[in-house]
Amino acid sequence: MSVVWWLTPILLPLAVAVVTTLRPGPRTSWLLAAAPVPALVLALAGPLLPAPALSWLLLEPRLALDPVGRVLLALTAVVWIVAGVYARTEAEQRGGYVEWWLLSLSGNVGLLLSDDILTFYTAFVVMTLAAYGLVVHSRTVEARRAGRVYLVLGVAGETVLLAGLLLAAADAPGLRMAEVAGAVAGSANRDLVVALLLIGFGIKAGVIGLHVWLPLAHPAAPFAASAVLSGAMIKAGLVGWLRLLPIGALPLPGWSDLLVVLGLATAVVGVALGLTQRAPKVVLAYSSVSQMGFMTLLVGVALAAPEAAPVAVAAAAVYALHHGVAKAVLFVAVGLLPSAGGTWRRTALLVGVAAAGLALAGAPLSSGAYAKAWMKQAIDLALPGTSVTTFASLAAVGTTLLMARLLLLLRAQRPGAGPAGRPTPGLGAWLTLVVAMATLTPLLPPVLLPVLATPDSGAVVAEPLWPLLLGLAIAGAVALAQRRVGVTMPALPAGDLVVVGERAVAGVARVLALLAPPLTAALSRWTRAVQGAALALGRRDEGLDRLEDLLTRWRTGGAMVALVAVALVIALAMPLL
Amino acid sequence: MAEASLGSLLPVLLLLTSLVPAAVIFVLPEPRERARRLVNMAGAILKVVLTGVLIAGVLGGGEYEWRRELLTGVDLVLRVDPIPLLFVTLSSILWLTTTVYAIGYLEPGQRRSRFFGFFSLCVTATIGIALAGNLVTFLIFYELLTVATYPLVVHQGDHRALVGGRAYLLYSVTGGAVLLVAVAWLHVLAGPVEFLEYAPLAGLAGEHATSLTLIFVLLVAGLAVKTAVVPLHGWLPKAMVAPAPVSALLHAVAVVKAGAYGIVRVVYDLYGLALAQQLRLLTPLLALAAVTIVYGSLRALAQDDLKRRLAYSTVSQLSYIVLGVGIASLTGVTGGLVHLIHQGIQKVTLFYCAGNLAKQLGVTRISEMRGVGRRMPLTMGAFTVAALGMIGIPPTAGFVTKWHLGLGGLEAGQGWVIWVLLLSSVLNAAYFLPVIARIWFLRVEGERPGAPTLERDLERDPWLVLPAVATGLSVLLAGLLAGAPLSPLSWAASIAQEVAGS
Repeated sequence: MSVVWWLTPILLPLAVAVVTTLRPGPRTSWLLAAAPVPALVLALAGPLLPAPALSWLLLEPRLALDPVGRVLLALTAVVWIVAGVYARTEAEQRGGYVEWWLLSLSGNVGLLLSDDILTFYTAFVVMTLAAYGLVVHSRTVEARRAGRVYLVLGVAGETVLLAGLLLAAADAPGLRMAEVAGAVAGSANRDLVVALLLIGFGIKAGVIGLHVWLPLAHPAAPFAASAVLSGAMIKAGLVGWLRLLPIGALPLPGWSDLLVVLGLATAVVGVALGLTQRAPKVVLAYSSVSQMGFMTLLVGVALAAPEAAPVAVAAAAVYALHHGVAKAVLFVAVGLLPSAGGTWRRTALLVGVAAAGLALAGAPLSSGAYAKAWMKQAIDLALPGTSVTTFASLAAVGTTLLMARLLLLLRAQRPGAGPAGRPTPGLGAWLTLVVAMATLTPLLPPVLLPVLATPDSGAVVAEPLWPLLLGLAIAGAVALAQRRVGVTMPALPAGDLVVVGERAVAGVARVLALLAPPLTAALSRWTRAVQGAALALGRRDEGLDRLEDLLTRWRTGGAMVALVAVALVIALAMPLL
Repeated sequence: MAEASLGSLLPVLLLLTSLVPAAVIFVLPEPRERARRLVNMAGAILKVVLTGVLIAGVLGGGEYEWRRELLTGVDLVLRVDPIPLLFVTLSSILWLTTTVYAIGYLEPGQRRSRFFGFFSLCVTATIGIALAGNLVTFLIFYELLTVATYPLVVHQGDHRALVGGRAYLLYSVTGGAVLLVAVAWLHVLAGPVEFLEYAPLAGLAGEHATSLTLIFVLLVAGLAVKTAVVPLHGWLPKAMVAPAPVSALLHAVAVVKAGAYGIVRVVYDLYGLALAQQLRLLTPLLALAAVTIVYGSLRALAQDDLKRRLAYSTVSQLSYIVLGVGIASLTGVTGGLVHLIHQGIQKVTLFYCAGNLAKQLGVTRISEMRGVGRRMPLTMGAFTVAALGMIGIPPTAGFVTKWHLGLGGLEAGQGWVIWVLLLSSVLNAAYFLPVIARIWFLRVEGERPGAPTLERDLERDPWLVLPAVATGLSVLLAGLLAGAPLSPLSWAASIAQEVAGS
């Protein structure tokens, strides 16, 4: 029984993949939405049965599910179920989609359930490679370019990760996650291992500098796939950090500072870059980068002080839950909008987008307000008296701006621009997701994660108010200023820090906007350079071919035989000497 | 007594299951296809059954040895030890699949009588190499292998085949001669030394350290030719002109593996890990392997001909085994030994698939492989799994190897090994992943959207498809079930316990 209880969430997607491959069509495609259900059951019911020992499989996989894992598993299952409903159309229209979809799902659930590094790494790699099929699904030029960048960085990340895991495992008494993380703390290679893990998982988590693939890949996929990529799969990097970094074992002030700074930088730069974009899905991808910054920040907080680690880890999981569901709401809504015919459907979707945007910005009583309140609890516990909280609030101002921009972009879109002739998918699943967004984050954590103190009303109502209002004010001001282009622009009260800040943000954004094309260009130049190198190698290859030809000629052979004869003589003479 | 004589006969019977078919096939006239097929399959199946009997016997503590005096003081010895059994199992199973494949691959008029005759002879030699209980026996079968494989390499009979065959013969004969020198020298120095009998050589280590080192160098140099260690690898990419079944067998079990297996036996069963470490022979071996791994991958990257790319990949992958041999730790030894199996099943799958592509679609170049996944899903599925195994993507067999080699290197204090492994993985990814992407995600040129039904014929021949699917599946299972009893890994681990423990 326990084998069934634990393995069905991982294996059912694979079974469904077989069924849907053999019998494609509408009669089986509903299974896409059913495949993640066992994972949801497991997440909500918890580890009722002891995890089975599977000594014959792989290298003894260990499975486990702690409360943090349950929160993340619940998120993953909910997002995959709803996205599965919307993946049906795509899956029915073109073959070779369900397989990648379900393989990614299996990997995503597997990495949350695994308790040893080999199973974790296996699931991580399976998920990454399978998701390539989702990214390139549309087969357009952009999708293929996105896929290439995705694959290159994915393989690079996994290689770096493997190096870290090998170094960590060499010192560990066993391969369980906790044992390996403990070994990292005491390892002679500690800093090297931590660096490798940061980079390896950082690529998946979209840490600034390593994020370049994300704004290309997430929007390239069909919208349902974007939802799982940005809502669920992106969290794999965070899971890796939480499980394998020596969190709670000892304070690592240097690494902690680095992660906090990187996290804040990611949050700000993600927004700034996002503001320069016009395509709604790209804006959303940048928003994901920015939001992952807050989770990176929390990992840094967890590394700062062991006593604060449980709170910080729990807060990171809750933040992941909040962001994942909200981002899935946004991606699905953005995907449904072009084909939304009726006025009420369109309005409902736009209202939903606004609600999710407000949640991400941390509006009072939204899921974001709760997630941010817990984030502040962790920061206050680990880094009291620092300005990290203030910076985080300022980053929330940026999120408000970005969401306002998204809403404006969506409103400007002409309806009915979607491909004609497709049946319009219903809104039911999406509405469920909106409800989940409003309820899961405030309700689930107090049940599962008692380390998190229930925030007082001030923390979820009053405190989140000012970044939101500030953001809205700036957005309003900018919109106003734009409407009055041609007129002079001294509209805002002089000397206000807000103006400076706004100019700075705009300036930074402009600089970054200038930088963004060169960055992407550099990347493609780099890809071309690699191809060039391969070609050059091919040319040099001819030289090597000639060399190898020379070595295989009769005359060379004769010389070799002669040499052998000499060796023979020496050998025969040797014992006599 | 009767049991003992049966025990000593089993190793010989194992040889005869392919030697007798060879003789019968040479006698059978060319058109007798059905009879030849029957003899071939019977021999191959019988060999697998006998191997099963041997495994069961060895697990029950049985010992199997056959011994005849060849010259005074020089015995011909066939003995079943743990490492030989590993190699015999690989050889007999892959011989079965390759026989099935070859029956499907070769068409009437392709001189099948000659082909299958030498094919069986080639396997006989491989089994002899596997079971050889001392160096002299090893050498005899090693030379037989050279001779038996030549007609297979030049089977096509055209200019390229002859050039490839000539290179193969030249390298192999020279390598064999070097090996002969080393064996003779060792005999003069230490008398007849059998495998797993460490005392004579260990006793000489004090006085004759230099001679022992030189002999080791000669032995490894002789074996390295067949193992295609850089710079002695030149023949391998040329020999890939052979028909697909030959390439498959050549790259997976017979020729190149015989060399790698020889190095394994020389280090583990002749010198012993302790003596090899004492004479400091392992680090140069490691360095050689590392260079070969990287060089092979770099060359593979630049090839457009599929079989040529696979050949350079073999150059690189074989040295994983040599690398494992050079790592003196329990996990490292396990990694090297298990790759003996893993490389075999992975590479054999890739060559089956390359053969199927060439035969059914006429595709031999990577640039022509657009969208072939949709046309031959089973074959290309197997290809994908095996290629992922080569990169070392979990949960395939290749990952199990990579993990053990890396961990073993760290255990042995040779941490730089992991960087070589990871560099090789990245290079492998660079030359396999684009191929996989091309197979599955690009559209066939000039593809008509409405006519996929006709294409089913491409995978209708079970003789061609089944071997590829079976070995491809085994790549997945060897990784997924690595912890199971009798998996290649647990087997290699138990042997490693003996090798690194003694």
